[in-house]
Formats: sequence, structure tokens, C-alpha cells
Amino acid sequence: MKKLLALALITFYEGIRNRSVFGIAIFSMFVFGLNVIVAGFFMRDIGKVTIDMNLSGLSVAGLLLVFFVVVNLMAKDIDRKTVHLVLSKPITRVEYIWGKYLGVVLFVFVSMAVLFMFSCFTVILVKGMHSDYFAQFSWTVFSLAALFVFLKIAVLGAVVVLFSTLTSNSFITLIFSISVFIVGTSVEDVLFFLRSGLAAQDVAVSKTLWIVIEVVSYLVPNLAVFDYKISAAHGLMPAWGQLGLSLGYGAVYIVVLLVVASCVFSRREFN
Amino acid sequence: MRRILILLLVLLISLVSHALVTFEMWRMRGQVRSTTVAGYVLPSKFSSVLAFGYKGLLSDFLFLKSVTFFGERHLAKKILSDGDWQYLLTSLDVVTDLDPYFEDPYVFAEANLAWEGKVEEANRILEKGRKNRNWDWRIPYYIGFNYFYFLQDYEKGAEYVMEAASRPGSHPFLSTLGARLAYYGGKSKTAVLFLRQMILETTDPGLRTRLEKRLIALERAAELEAKIELFVKEQGRKPTSIEELITAGYVDSLPPDPYGGQWVILKNGRVFSTSKFTDSR
Repeated sequence: MKKLLALALITFYEGIRNRSVFGIAIFSMFVFGLNVIVAGFFMRDIGKVTIDMNLSGLSVAGLLLVFFVVVNLMAKDIDRKTVHLVLSKPITRVEYIWGKYLGVVLFVFVSMAVLFMFSCFTVILVKGMHSDYFAQFSWTVFSLAALFVFLKIAVLGAVVVLFSTLTSNSFITLIFSISVFIVGTSVEDVLFFLRSGLAAQDVAVSKTLWIVIEVVSYLVPNLAVFDYKISAAHGLMPAWGQLGLSLGYGAVYIVVLLVVASCVFSRREFN
Repeated sequence: MRRILILLLVLLISLVSHALVTFEMWRMRGQVRSTTVAGYVLPSKFSSVLAFGYKGLLSDFLFLKSVTFFGERHLAKKILSDGDWQYLLTSLDVVTDLDPYFEDPYVFAEANLAWEGKVEEANRILEKGRKNRNWDWRIPYYIGFNYFYFLQDYEKGAEYVMEAASRPGSHPFLSTLGARLAYYGGKSKTAVLFLRQMILETTDPGLRTRLEKRLIALERAAELEAKIELFVKEQGRKPTSIEELITAGYVDSLPPDPYGGQWVILKNGRVFSTSKFTDSR
């Protein structure tokens, strides 16, 4: 456990030192600042627009962190051959994968927590300016939605870890991870569209396509499960059972990915 | 030193050219935007997939785009073509599919579509809001108004107003309004009450100005209706035309319709205008 934590801390510090983090932080500040201006363009639902923009800014910042910083963090050891040095220490390959992932998650959590604080500041500011339009707003639902944005990023972090064990090229890891994100965010809409009677009127769906999509729905993470942005925007508290299932789904998915990554990494040969 | 001066001169010329070209570019874009046909909105089933998890944000963006489009046409005093209306309708449909709880598109549909003769379409969009925003009394209130004022279905109008009255936070006057609607459905005075409440609920200056203009028109129609009632009471018959109110001495002159139309008496005794209380004739 100690070795795991040591590796996690090293990865965390490595992440924090990455200069891209500042760029991502500035981008988020820009979105939060833009929110103050844009909110005034709307007639009544200013609270909804504020929460939409804040949570979307937080989510995009998380995606940038995972795709550009985390991919780098995972690939660096293998690219620069420092993985040999790490693995020559009394640390197993499985510990390496879990330690790296813990470091990555800690890095993403701390970065997003800081951004979340800035986001709260924006919400307080806009709420102060247009207090009449925040009647539905709830800090609890807003914070829960932000927590689930983090969980989505944590799942994608596990996807990045898996792909970086499968390939030594960080660009391929990036492309594969982005593809999983795209499929993961849209798979639910596609699946329900095909299942709905509407599909029968519009397009003829072949049986093979049905099977492929059904299989994909089990393989790829359904990222819509972690999307509580619209609930937060309208202050609608989701059912606790729904929140619990989303949490469980994310946790189980992360564990499965890390176990697969550990198996692959244990058998991997380094040149 | 000379080199620096030349560089500064070049910089000055470039900056001035940039300012001039940018100014011209924005002027040209203003013209292009006021004449170009409305854009195309992807149907909901595609938009929701292509939102990549940012449905709320996409709905905000699409709504802002629709409102800007409508506002630009309104400012340029351009009459919206069928294509423009189709764009607005599809856009509002997609926006409310992406985020069915979003209040602004419903307010927009009521304030603009219904008054421009697209009552059925406005009601279809509002029904989505009535179902999803089940805590909001305003949506059934708007539908009730549309049934009452535009479709002259007072029974249905009263039904929706009563529903609005039963929702949390609704104005206490709604239950009386519902009852009044069921009884005095075809009076402009009832519409005035509706509209006054809508203005109280509106902070958007553009929308407020439009609603206030309509309120003035309706208040004048209500005044004339009151005079007709008095005429009927005293003379025992309906006036043959609105001008008869002047000749019989009930009014000194007819108040102007803010939309520029001529007042007429409908068969049911209601006073209306040839402008239909809209700018787009």
C-alpha cells in the first residue's frame, strides 16, 4: 500500500508540474467569466444557463486534463524508458498500474476541486446579480452534478490507463480514448433511438447492426449515466437509487478496466 | 532610429487599415445576416447525439441563436417568411427536446409564436413544458390564454387556468380569472388581465415593450367594448359600426390602434382591429 501511495504521489506531483494545467485553468476561468456576460442575454432561466455553463466548463476542463495531461503522464514512463527504472524497484507491475491510476485520479480531483471553487464563485456572483432567477437552484444538486462530472473523468482516466498499456504510442492512446468518449456519450441516445418505434419508421436496422450496438453498449462506458447537468440546472434532485447506481456503475467499470490493464501490463514486453 | 520610425509608420498604417476593414466587415455582416435565409437545425434525434453530453449547453446556444435571429428580423422590421417561421419552430422544438425544463423557449413561444398566428404550434411546444415543468404555473396559464384569446375556446381556456391556479406559487387572482373566463370569455377586459400579469412576469426589455404595446391595444379595445355595452343598454340594439359610437356621442373620437389598424366590431360584440394586434401584416 505504501509503495502504491508513493507512486501515486509522484504521479500527482508530475501532473501538477505540467504547464498545460495552467492553460486548462485559464480556459475554465474564461468560460466562468463568459458566463457572467452571457447569462444576461436570457429572459428568465438565468440560473439554468449559469449552471449549464459552469458544469460544462468543468467537464471540458476535465476532458482536457484527461486527454492531454493524463495521456502524457501515462506515456512518459514508457516513451522515456523510465518505466525500467521504476520496475527495477521492489514494485510489481500490477502495483505500478494501480499506483499510476491513483495518482492520476488524485491529480484530476485536486485540479477539478480548485476549478469547482472558482465555479462556485461565479455562481455566487451571477446569483447575486440575478437573485430572482435562482429560485430552483440547489447547492446540493449542483455539487452532486460536479462530483459525477469528476466520476466521468475518472472513468475516462481508467480508459486512458488501459489504452496506454496496450500501445506505447501516446497519440494512439489519445485517439482511442477520444473515440471511447464519443461513443460513450452517444451510445445511450443511439440505443434508445433504435429501440424506439420511431426507428422502425425512419430507417431499416439490420440485425447485425443491432447485435453490434448491443455488444458495444456493454463494452463502452455509458457516460450519459454520469450526466446530471440538466438536473442541476433546474435544481431537480435525482433519486438516491439512481445516484447510487451511477456511482456503482462507474466504480465497477473502473475496477474492470484496471484489472484488464494490470493483466495486459503484466505480460507486456519492453524493448 | 530611422528604422524604428519606418516600423512605427507601417504599424500605424496597418492598425488604421485593420480598423477600417473590421468596421466594414461588421457592417457587411449586418446586411448579410438580415437578408440570409434562416439556418437549418438538425432534428432532435441527431442533435441529442451530437451534443456529446452537453445537451443543456447546446439548448442554450440554439435558443440564443433563435432569439438573435428573431430579434435581428424584428429590428430590421422584416416580415418573417414561412421558411423563417419553420426555422424558429424547429429550433424551439429541438431546444425543448434537448432540455424540456428550459423555461425561456416556452416564454418565447407564447410571446411571439402565438401572437403571430402560430397558436397551434405554440400550444404544441407549451404542452411539452406543461408536462415537464410540472411545478410551473405559468405554462398552463399561457396555454389557457391561447385557448381563450386566440382559439376562443373558453371552456378549455378556463380548464388550463384552473390547472395553473392549482400549481404551487400561482397568483391568487388565477382562480377568479378561471371562473371569470368561463363566464365572460369573449371580453377584451379578460385579456387585459392576462396580459398585465404577463408583463409583471417579464423583465426582458424587448419582450416587455412588445407586450406593453399589445396591452395598450387591448385596453383601448376593452374601453370600446364597455361603450358598446352601454350603447346596447341604452339604445336596445347593437351599433351598426364602431363609428356609430362617435355619432351617438358615446366617444369623442376612436383611440388609435398602436398597430395602425382600424377598429371593427365582431359578430360576438367584441372589438378587434384590422391589424390583428401584430406588426407583421
